[in-house]
Amino acid sequence: MNNFCKTRLKFLPILIFLFLAGSLMAQTAEDTAEVLTEADTAEMEPQLPPPAPAKIDSVKDTPNDRGHSIDLWWSLSPDDDGTGNYVTGYEIWRFEKTETGEMDSVRRKSVPYAVGYFTDRGDKDNGQDPLPNGKDYWYRIRTIVSKTVYSDSEKFGPVQAEGQWYHTGKTPLAVAVLLFSTFTVAFIVIAGGSFDFKPFIIVPIISVTFIWIREIVLLLISGSFSFQTFILAVPFSAVGSLGLFIIAGGIGYPIGRYIHKQKGGKVDLYVRPLSGINAVDEAIGRATEMGKPILYVLGLGTAADIATICSFTVLGRVAKKVAEHQSSLIVPCYDPIVMTVAQEVVKNAYAEAGRPDTYDDDMVFFVTQSQFAYVAAVNGMMLRQLPASNFYLGLFYAESLLLAETGSLAGSIQIAGTDQVAQLPFFIVACDYTLIGEELYAASAYLSKEPILLGSLKAEDWGKSIFIFLAIVGVIAATFGWQNFIDWLAIRL
Amino acid sequence: MKTGRLVSIAIFILVIAAFLFSWWRSDWSKSGLLVTTGAFLTLFILSFLYKDNPYYKFAEHLFVGVSAAYWMMMSFWNIMVPNLVAKLYPSLVGGALPALADKPPDYLFFIPMVLGIMLLMRLSPKGGWISRWALAFIVGTTAGLNLIRYLRSDFIRQIDNTMIPLVAQTDAGISFWGSFSNIVIFIGVLCGLIYFFFSKEHKGLFGGAARLGIWILMLTFGAGFGYTVMARISLLAGRMSYLFGDWLRLINQ
Amino acid sequence: MDNMDNSNKKSMLERLLLIDRRYVFICIALAVIIPILFHISFREIATDIVRDLYEEIDELPPGSRIMLSFDYAPTTAPEIQPMVDAIIWHAAKKNLKIYMMAVWPTGHSLIGQTIDSVLIPEFPDLVDGVDYMNLGYKAGNQGLIRVIVDDIKRMYSTDANGTDIDLIPMMKTVTSLKDMDFIVSFGGGFPGVKEWILFAGDPGNIKVGGCCTAVSAPLLYPYYPNQMVGLLGGIKGAAEYESEMIKHFPEFRRRPTPALDLMGPQTIAHIVIMFFIIFGNVMYFINRARERKLEDTGRR
Repeated sequence: MNNFCKTRLKFLPILIFLFLAGSLMAQTAEDTAEVLTEADTAEMEPQLPPPAPAKIDSVKDTPNDRGHSIDLWWSLSPDDDGTGNYVTGYEIWRFEKTETGEMDSVRRKSVPYAVGYFTDRGDKDNGQDPLPNGKDYWYRIRTIVSKTVYSDSEKFGPVQAEGQWYHTGKTPLAVAVLLFSTFTVAFIVIAGGSFDFKPFIIVPIISVTFIWIREIVLLLISGSFSFQTFILAVPFSAVGSLGLFIIAGGIGYPIGRYIHKQKGGKVDLYVRPLSGINAVDEAIGRATEMGKPILYVLGLGTAADIATICSFTVLGRVAKKVAEHQSSLIVPCYDPIVMTVAQEVVKNAYAEAGRPDTYDDDMVFFVTQSQFAYVAAVNGMMLRQLPASNFYLGLFYAESLLLAETGSLAGSIQIAGTDQVAQLPFFIVACDYTLIGEELYAASAYLSKEPILLGSLKAEDWGKSIFIFLAIVGVIAATFGWQNFIDWLAIRL
Repeated sequence: MKTGRLVSIAIFILVIAAFLFSWWRSDWSKSGLLVTTGAFLTLFILSFLYKDNPYYKFAEHLFVGVSAAYWMMMSFWNIMVPNLVAKLYPSLVGGALPALADKPPDYLFFIPMVLGIMLLMRLSPKGGWISRWALAFIVGTTAGLNLIRYLRSDFIRQIDNTMIPLVAQTDAGISFWGSFSNIVIFIGVLCGLIYFFFSKEHKGLFGGAARLGIWILMLTFGAGFGYTVMARISLLAGRMSYLFGDWLRLINQ
Repeated sequence: MDNMDNSNKKSMLERLLLIDRRYVFICIALAVIIPILFHISFREIATDIVRDLYEEIDELPPGSRIMLSFDYAPTTAPEIQPMVDAIIWHAAKKNLKIYMMAVWPTGHSLIGQTIDSVLIPEFPDLVDGVDYMNLGYKAGNQGLIRVIVDDIKRMYSTDANGTDIDLIPMMKTVTSLKDMDFIVSFGGGFPGVKEWILFAGDPGNIKVGGCCTAVSAPLLYPYYPNQMVGLLGGIKGAAEYESEMIKHFPEFRRRPTPALDLMGPQTIAHIVIMFFIIFGNVMYFINRARERKLEDTGRR
């Protein structure tokens, strides 16, 4: 063997060693790779620094609710650039003291990046009491980059959830109710009406009685009794009446009384003339000349509907004129209660006109309580008896056009009035005169001159004036971009 | 008279024959009977467009009777049973509503029961006055609930909704049609309210605004009328679709 | 001769003015029947008021709670049912939790019909009590709405099938209407969309959308957009919603689109009515001018 070969042979063990060592190292690396955990991987990856923590600005009870709710606001972490590339979100942690005095924590919710508020309403699952009132809670915000990379803010607290007795956001509504009530009371008194104080006393008494009966029944049956409810029933029942009494009666009544006295006790609240009402006399005169009856339809409402109540007033006026002119009147009714009231109204009207002997109960009669059967019956009457004048005043639904069309076919002069906006187009098209919506209420106030009706109408006019004023001011502000003024003026409930 | 009676009998026989023929076409099936009955009742009602006739009267009376019975049944099983009987005597409704049978009785519901009986006293000539107390409770509660809701949503919120800029801005600048729309809304609201102002006579500028208001109201009523016409036509189209599709099978549904 | 012509023209005018209404009925009937028989329909583009409602439902994340209130009767079903079918399909497609109730007694059976015709056949994977539920009908009108805004379980102790409400998975985290993400009322009268706005939307600060008959639609416009997210008014609204659905969900085209189908007869009938209105007014004014002319001639 020459020297060259010997040299090469010397290197052979080295080569074999290196080869084996390499294999072993590869094996070791693989083995090591199987054993590596996420933490190891994380350690091996470039280590992200923890983010700057968010800072809690405020944690307080949610306002204007019955409690069980806490609002949190925090300043975003300086590292939150709003893209989610680094800070991915926030976790809200709530702490409470256990019975042993230790702090127990629970992760309430995760919110995404760039969100800096949260309302904690507690855990509603399984019917547990969500966030009981009056209990101390602490909060902490965790700024999250990943599962293992995060930072915590300082703990903020203690804070308690509480219920509020008064909803400050509803103040404008309260002001509106009290203003409207004050105006109504004042104008009723101006018009010569009296202000009845009895309901303000009777209503709370009835309310308290109901609550006490309930508590006693519960005590007898289940043995449970709430002393707090029993006692608080009195002020709670009284506070609404008392507030209204003080403001509306306490302010509206004296003002109305003063003005009434200033005018020497004779105040005629002006209501502008209504063309439909002016035509009533013309319609009755026409019927008298032609020797044909007058048909008066009170609509499909009940005696509790405002439109029907207003219609009774106009019916009284029409019946009185009919009695004076010695014409005949037909009043088919849809509701039995309405029929009984209408009979009384017509009877009284005939008596006022000095002709009680000519009144006949059959003038006012019940037809049926089925809508289209009623319409079919009234249509039949129109086509058979051919009345000279038709009055449709009250609450109407889909039968309005059927009635008006048939009356038009019969050649009658027709006066209609309803507050159902959907039916007004049909009456306007098919009738000679139509009282649109509130004009029906105004008509009853105009004809009866009752202080309550006149006073309410005046209060409504004042309400419209306030609406117009606020709308004009608001539109000007909106046009010029005065958003703060609009937000102050507008209602956010 | 005799001819008229003969014609009526002939028409009646024709109607029966047509009904049976239609049912036969659907192989005397139950669904075919229902569809045929529905179609014929529809035609009976539509026959009123020509003239009032006994077939229309029959269909109308049938509808009135069935709807009265349906409402009575619905009221009993959806109101009386779960809201009164099941609350006062839960075990009694175990057969119909087993889930309610295990609940404890709630004797508070004696109060609405008493109020309901008071309302029924309306039927008694001597005791009718008792119903007025229950009615007063209902009217008072409804008025109290509605006052706040309607004042908020129909008055205060509408003031808010009217506060719109007369010059509407978008990202691209001033919007002509947006501004036009806002101006029309504002003027319409203003003039409409002025029309319903009863404390002042409609004279001069005030009268002019009221006149504009009534014009705007008439435009609104016209639009409402048009909407109602659309509603009625769509109901008619629905019925025609039923007649030509489900009954005569002349169109693919 | 001239007078005879005039009197003949006048009588023809009078005849045209006093045209028997039954001819008008026949024209309307033909205007409706012919498009139905020949499948005449027109393209619909959604207006803003419809699109807003569509987008509100479309943007709700999966799992959101939507309350559907069936407040209509079978008499108005031709108008409202297409809206119901489209919206419930949309809600199911978006994996929303669907809660159904009725403030009208007739709504009770209509809920069942809708479940049987839309949810069960087209979404067989949905589970009753987990993905959708039927609360059924309860009396009380707006009073019912007023109570369930704060506490649903005070009024509902079971669902429409008689299952205890506490055992229904969908109701475990729901205590009141305020837990709903959106309310849609299918209203045909009183109580309807307006009552949902007044007694749930405004006081509970819950978003409300409306689907109503065409008769009620003009009365609801004042509530848009601040108090009501959007409104489908009548068959036109339903057709616009269906067209919007087809635009975004091509598979919707495979199912029946009754609203789009009915817009054909609707459009033709409206054109016929407009013709008669214009015709009647023209005849009226011609007749009035003629009468004035005759009066003037008579006076001279």
